[in-house]
Amino acid sequence: MKYRIVSPRVGTPGEIYEPEIWVNLGALLDGGFIEPVDKKPAPDKPAKAKVSKKAAPDATSAQE
Amino acid sequence: MPTSTYLSNPVVTVNSIDLSDQCTAATFTQRYDQLESTAFGDTARKYVAGLGNHEITLSFYMSYATSETFATLENIVGGTVTVIVKPAVGADSATNPGFTLTGTLLPELPVINATMGELSTIDVTFVGGVYSKDVTP
Repeated sequence: MKYRIVSPRVGTPGEIYEPEIWVNLGALLDGGFIEPVDKKPAPDKPAKAKVSKKAAPDATSAQE
Repeated sequence: MPTSTYLSNPVVTVNSIDLSDQCTAATFTQRYDQLESTAFGDTARKYVAGLGNHEITLSFYMSYATSETFATLENIVGGTVTVIVKPAVGADSATNPGFTLTGTLLPELPVINATMGELSTIDVTFVGGVYSKDVTP
């Protein structure tokens, strides 16, 4: 993932930030010093399911 | 008489965040545990170096504004980061070495240190970590 510099304390704002291997990225992100360039949707979040126009059979009535 | 003058104006970087303009004092101590190796027959105590036990003490003006002292340190207290202190601005070199402590722990952070009529300052100490000296530009 690429990051963009927000705070001048890290570098020139707007430039792409290439973190060293030893950098604590979480602290930089939480402090607002950098931000992700491209925010992709979380992979574990499924796409919204389509709702069928046909109504599902009523479970209670089926039991009776 | 000193042959060279060192104006105390170091560059202090904590987790790649430059906090030099909030820092007023920096002490970087390279230290090793002192293990006694004195034995029978010796007439004086002898020691050998043990594990590295380095530390950095920094004094900062406290500021709660965005990207300032508190915003930097509150996210790393209790965790390990890399701290670099070098004598002056500019590239690393033999005469301007970047003293580095990698994986050093910030065990505590004074969140308030206020005195009426004075600027708020805090002292923080990073302990442990691997010491190195970078002289490569």
